[in-house]
Amino acid sequence: MKMIRAIVRPEKENDVVLALEAKGFPAMTKTNVFGRGKQKGIKVGPIHYDELPKVMLMIVANDADVPVIVEVIRNAAHVGYEGDGKIFVSPVSEAYTIRTGEKTE
Amino acid sequence: MLLEITAIIRRDKVAPTMRALDAIGLGSMTITTVSGRGLQGGNVMTDIDREVPAEYESVSKITRHLTPASFALVHSLTRPVFWIPKRMIQIVIPSAMKEDVIDLIMSVNRTGWMGDGKVFVSPLEESLRIRTGERGLASI
Repeated sequence: MKMIRAIVRPEKENDVVLALEAKGFPAMTKTNVFGRGKQKGIKVGPIHYDELPKVMLMIVANDADVPVIVEVIRNAAHVGYEGDGKIFVSPVSEAYTIRTGEKTE
Repeated sequence: MLLEITAIIRRDKVAPTMRALDAIGLGSMTITTVSGRGLQGGNVMTDIDREVPAEYESVSKITRHLTPASFALVHSLTRPVFWIPKRMIQIVIPSAMKEDVIDLIMSVNRTGWMGDGKVFVSPLEESLRIRTGERGLASI
């Protein structure tokens, strides 16, 4: 199992969620985060914005579904400019559903 | 060997979970405010809507729509909640305590209703206490 963390533009959040839902992945967790990338923020005229608002979506999925999900997020969140965000994939060894106590490895 | 436990739980269960973890000697944790949705795609409050026709008795049986929540929105059955406020608790533990911690979190948080949350266990490579520079087990 893998945890996919996607940091995307806040205005693209809905597109990403709907695209994932259409592919059969409705379950996820969302957090509002602030971040900056290689460009160290953004400079608009004389003002320098150090931290830019982003939305982080966390999805835990089976290994086989990971390439599909990554591709869906990529297509939905893509704008083509700096600041489109990142997708990170990390290992998860076990997942439990609290309501039933069911364990998935 | 260190493990990271990520539990996504109901908001009102944070304090009981903290007390229960304190009792087995795990006082330290990180709590984040998150929004979540599960396989239902949010929450459909069928109970409050008396106008739902009989054939819709169980919204979750309807398969033509992506999720029960999107069905409810299209048919104006209820006002679906697409994002449910949740709390995410992250704890770093030695791997020997894994079973105890998971059993404890699950018993404290179980109400038997959808939305109880999930617990994820993931391996952690390194841990470091910033103040002293201790690493690994000594740092947690």
